[in-house]
Amino acid sequence: MRTLPVAEPRSETETARRAAPRAGRRRNLRTAVEAYGMLAPSLIGFAVFLIAPIVVVVVLSFFDWNLLSDPEFIGLENYRELAGDERALRSIGNTFYYVLLNIPAQTVLALLLALALNAKIKARNTFRVLYVLPWMAMPVALGVIWRWVFDPAYGALNRFLDLFGIDGAAWLTSSAWAMPVIASVNVWQYTGYTMLFFLAGLQAIPAQLYEAADVDGASPVHRFFAITLPLLRPAMLFVLITSVIGSFQVFDTIHVMTAGGPAGSTATLNYQIYLESFTQRNAGYASMLAVILFAIIALITLTQAALFRKRTVYDFS
Amino acid sequence: MNKTRTAALASLALALPALAACGGDDDGAVTLRYAFWDDNQRPALEAMIAAFNEDHPDIEIELEQNPWDDYWPGLDSRFAAEDAPDVFWNHVSRFPTYADNGVLLPLTDYIEEDGLDPSVYPENLYDSWRFEDDQYGLPKDWDSIALVYRIDALEAAGIDPATVGDLEWNPVDGGTYVEFLQKLTIDANGNNALSPDFDPENVVQYGTAMASSTGQTDWWNYAVQNGCSLQTEPWGDYAIDAPECVEAIQFTADLYNKWGVAVPAESTNQPNGGVPGDYVVAGQAATALDGSWMLSFYRDGLEPGTWAVADNPSGPVGSGTVINGLSNAVYAGTDHPDEAWEFVKFLGSEEAQAIATGMGSVWPGVSSLNQDFADYWAGEGIDVTGFQTAAEGTTIGYPLSMNDAAFGTAALDEFNQVWLGQKDAQEAAEAVVELANAE
Repeated sequence: MRTLPVAEPRSETETARRAAPRAGRRRNLRTAVEAYGMLAPSLIGFAVFLIAPIVVVVVLSFFDWNLLSDPEFIGLENYRELAGDERALRSIGNTFYYVLLNIPAQTVLALLLALALNAKIKARNTFRVLYVLPWMAMPVALGVIWRWVFDPAYGALNRFLDLFGIDGAAWLTSSAWAMPVIASVNVWQYTGYTMLFFLAGLQAIPAQLYEAADVDGASPVHRFFAITLPLLRPAMLFVLITSVIGSFQVFDTIHVMTAGGPAGSTATLNYQIYLESFTQRNAGYASMLAVILFAIIALITLTQAALFRKRTVYDFS
Repeated sequence: MNKTRTAALASLALALPALAACGGDDDGAVTLRYAFWDDNQRPALEAMIAAFNEDHPDIEIELEQNPWDDYWPGLDSRFAAEDAPDVFWNHVSRFPTYADNGVLLPLTDYIEEDGLDPSVYPENLYDSWRFEDDQYGLPKDWDSIALVYRIDALEAAGIDPATVGDLEWNPVDGGTYVEFLQKLTIDANGNNALSPDFDPENVVQYGTAMASSTGQTDWWNYAVQNGCSLQTEPWGDYAIDAPECVEAIQFTADLYNKWGVAVPAESTNQPNGGVPGDYVVAGQAATALDGSWMLSFYRDGLEPGTWAVADNPSGPVGSGTVINGLSNAVYAGTDHPDEAWEFVKFLGSEEAQAIATGMGSVWPGVSSLNQDFADYWAGEGIDVTGFQTAAEGTTIGYPLSMNDAAFGTAALDEFNQVWLGQKDAQEAAEAVVELANAE
């Protein structure tokens, strides 16, 4: 068993170039034009709907804009104001709190589910579909349904708890409960989806490794930590980066279930951006918050990528 | 989980104004977009549009509906995108900022050219759409708050409906109004809140339901009835930290927490809770201080003869409330200002508003039609004069301020905590005043 860097398979064009350099250059050019031509529609979309808005938001963060009349340049004023804005600073704290509630639970559950549904059990495919279903549903519709479930007086949860003589909490109107409740709804919604990536990762692990481990007499726990977990590294990297970014951007569940309340306890930075821009008409200030959110996500994503940089691949060829 | 879609929206708004404008149609016909929020009024709007199209077959009206809480953010972002609906419902709380920022088309010249007679509207209603010598709308309607109650609930509690108009409350012992609500608050064993056996953990019907995004159908009523005028003067600072205001806010909180006669704030707090009518129609509350615009909601949800309208309770200084009205406004950037004016002129006319009053939709902007509206509801067995009484006396107009957005957000945020019993009324009122008057 050796650990090797990944080698890209030689591409067809590369082979062609070696065979016939002259004709190939022309063909290469044509291929390139064709390739870029086919990429163009998605690149245009990318530029117009992603790059341009990002640039505009960065520019707007130096302006005072109430959406109704012309923006006014105020330099770094928005950034200076952030230091004294308790609400915004608190929303940054709320965001980290939410991510910490969300990511570990979601990742561990998804991994356990993937392990369970990778085993040869009955009705395995049915279970796989069932666990992915929440992810396929509309978050807003789910939010509305969960709000009913968590309604303190008329909700299903508290009525159920009542059967056992338990007084349920005021889930969504208590500052202590609201965020964990929202995080749990999102964990429930996205665990199945996250599981899919672990499942794909598990199926890519060569069976010979487990056979060899069996011969060596390794325990199941030992096999998990020595083989499964290290080989899931690429899947883990992908899952962590995408779900961390996703949970920094949570919006719809919060909007529908608590609208940032009670007392701002579920207003994440992303929700604060919405509130500033569209209920307070401070679009410039909201743009500054968006830049801050961008910086936070970028920093965390880069850190994650750096931590996972070492790649492990087992080559049997 | 979305992209930072708010930011994206705002920036798209700036980046793509060129894509926003939509040209005229091929056959010379014009399409106007007309935005509104109240689902109860949709049938009346559709009927008025049908009547308008009889004389104007070449102007097509497209209705755009969004609920109140989404309506304003949506409208603001479309002003930013320079793609706002041509004609839209305007509210006095938003009007000053809109007029000041030039997103509304001044109608003054049109009104003069067409020789429109403003005296068909109540003077204060017409003038509430004036800003710096220009008129920006014609009154669409007016509204007030009165006491809506279920007759069956009162009868079951042994209360004579004839006495409902004479209820009084005070911040000390609650008065006859709180006693009335206690009799209507019933637990699962049929005991009311005055009974020693009453179980507050298992209430099946509360005396009242309160819920409001603004204050209009909850604490403002008690505030005005306690002598609080919300502001130092129209256009002035918010002054809800005055003792008479704080007392009323505390009284509202007491209805929830001290006397336990209101549907709990855990359910009713906005923006995610229901509106008062939801709880009354479902039988979870016996009464509500509710708006005249909700009449058709009660009509459609309850059997005839099972509900009625009475005068508001009287507080220490009277039985007043907050009156308000809407107008139809024209977007300053519309491609079809003349057609939009034609439509707005029609909506403000006696002919159009007679259609709405004939359907019992809302109290009309045109004064001569008030009786028609009352007649419609008399035909349904409902005496709606409680709303007219409520429009008189100590009643005040809707607060006018450029800081409405800051006030609204702060008030909802702070008072939601007071209703939950998590914050002191005085402290909350001071926090709101500080935030709202800061800008």
